[in-house]
Amino acid sequence: MAPINPIHSGIGVLRRIGGNPLLERFGLKTPFEKLVYSGSKYGFRAATAGARSFKKISGVTQAQRPDRHAASGLFDLTPTEEQQMIREAVARFAAERLRPAAAQADADSRAPDGLLAEAAALGIASFSVPEAFGGAASEHSVVTGALIAESMAHGDLGLALASLAPVGVANVLTRWGSAEQQSRYLPAFAQDNPPAAALALVEPRALADPARPQTRVMRRGDGWALSGEKALVPLAETAELYLVSAVDEQGEVALYVVEPGDGLLLKPEPAMGLRAAELGTLRFDDMTLPEGARIDAAVMDYSRLAWCAMAVGTAQAVVDYVVPYVNDRQAFGEPISHRQAVAFGVADMALETEAMRLATWRAAALADQGKSFQRETALAYRLCCDKAMQIGSQGVQLLGGHGFVKEHPVERWYRDLRAIAVMSGGVCL
Amino acid sequence: MKVMVSVKRVVDYNVRIQVKGDGSGVNLDGVKMSMNPFDEIAMEQAVQMKDAGTAEEVIAVTIGPAKAEEQLRSALAFGADRAIHVKTDEEIQPLTAARILAKLFEKEQPKVLLTGKQAIDDDANQTGQMTAALLDLPQATFASAIEFDGDKAKVTREVDSGLETIEVDLPAVITTDLRLNEPRYLKLPDIMKAKKKPIDAMSVEDLGIEEAVKLNVTKTAPPPEREPGVMVEDVNELVSKMKDKGLV
Repeated sequence: MAPINPIHSGIGVLRRIGGNPLLERFGLKTPFEKLVYSGSKYGFRAATAGARSFKKISGVTQAQRPDRHAASGLFDLTPTEEQQMIREAVARFAAERLRPAAAQADADSRAPDGLLAEAAALGIASFSVPEAFGGAASEHSVVTGALIAESMAHGDLGLALASLAPVGVANVLTRWGSAEQQSRYLPAFAQDNPPAAALALVEPRALADPARPQTRVMRRGDGWALSGEKALVPLAETAELYLVSAVDEQGEVALYVVEPGDGLLLKPEPAMGLRAAELGTLRFDDMTLPEGARIDAAVMDYSRLAWCAMAVGTAQAVVDYVVPYVNDRQAFGEPISHRQAVAFGVADMALETEAMRLATWRAAALADQGKSFQRETALAYRLCCDKAMQIGSQGVQLLGGHGFVKEHPVERWYRDLRAIAVMSGGVCL
Repeated sequence: MKVMVSVKRVVDYNVRIQVKGDGSGVNLDGVKMSMNPFDEIAMEQAVQMKDAGTAEEVIAVTIGPAKAEEQLRSALAFGADRAIHVKTDEEIQPLTAARILAKLFEKEQPKVLLTGKQAIDDDANQTGQMTAALLDLPQATFASAIEFDGDKAKVTREVDSGLETIEVDLPAVITTDLRLNEPRYLKLPDIMKAKKKPIDAMSVEDLGIEEAVKLNVTKTAPPPEREPGVMVEDVNELVSKMKDKGLV
């Protein structure tokens, strides 16, 4: 006997009901016919036995699992125990000291008295100075630098920039400076009260390319003459030392150590964000520099990585602030995080922040390994430029009206994160 | 003087504790661990004594798994000169901990043992007291101020009725309370230096310690969730509601 086909017998039943005159009387004939049609088209059918038969092999009594692949470290991004301690120490300082001071520093356009000294006392600058100059750097790690920058910026981006600008100068001197330059400037950075200092790379002109500055140096006697203008320099008016990028008569770009003096004009340049970092413009008017002022340094990638790391820190701060907010805030009788429009937005912020972090760490890790990291830095920077801005904006959006007012920090983070794409220089890992 | 500080590895105070589904304990998988905050205060006290010249040597001690070395590194970054790690993967309860600390105290002969008044994981608040008893030494618990004067220490204690100041002869055991000080921020160069400081590792058996009888934890449960309150219009309604509940 042939097996019973359930569809055939089903349709038989449906036909019998379908012929019932009651259906017509209640106006159900057309819908019922539709039901019969779709029932026969999309219904279940019996599975027929496959052509393959599986043959068992004998002799295996235990389930077999391959060994775990020996870890090559390829995807292990766990910081070392020491890096983890450093990260926690800096994060605690950022949470307890920078975050509470941030709103006032933003309003005042300057860091509160003593706060930058407190940050310096953590040793973030002396950490970059070799032991011979009284510092603590027996080794230098770009990853550690990125972790410090990220943790500081989780507290506040503007104050992190103000604190890390001198560290960037120390890093450049340590990595590329001559023995003469190092012994002259580095010991000061190893002390508890390091000088205010910053890298000046950005120029106020259209199509400005930090790698091809228009600030010029010319030979004058045994030294140099510097002319040009630099914008968005942190601590511009208070710094005791600048590293200025300029092009020489041969078209070569280098950094020049500049101490304030004749020929340097300063102007504050209050900006939309990063207000605590006291941004300003420097103008060099045929300023005379000594022969030993020049440092041949390829600083751009290290500087961009510093901005990436800070972007990650502040983006994480936005995520960390928004998540409890959307879970607590009630609308229509439930937390707003129950709305998909909100939940999807939060998920995007979290995964973009993680992507920024991984791209940044990857580039930094390559730098630590002594490999080329230019491409990875460019990718990380591009990602951070776009996403940091979006995360800042999304943070404001998710807080609704609360995002717009200064009672909550997200409006400040929104303004600060706008800076990632326009800033380069200022800091350096 | 020589100061010994005992520190414990506990779940970080910021972590929202989750009880395991079967009630057999607290979930520690991937949970952030830190130095017990009260022990950080003890550590800060010891380092302040070193800064002031009262203490010549600060020894940090911990009892715990291999991972507890992280907390010893923190203690060394605080400013301890060296550390002792009594390694064990067992859960160590107060009396056993006190026996171990007493043994180390006899070995090292410090002038004072500083430790947090309690650890924020089991909140036992016993180890300091038991150690003092085993050593037959004076104890000063819940210290909110300590002053050293020769072979004596004046300790202000936070007790239920207010503040009490007592004088103890040294050597002594002092346990620290929240308001004694505010632990410093670890400096990055000190974290680097901590790497080079010595940690002396040993096992409980090496010390010849017999484990005390253990309390058996039969069940761990989260505290019951608080029910939402009721808003009342005036005092009369408040009183009548309280009467309904049999509270007055």
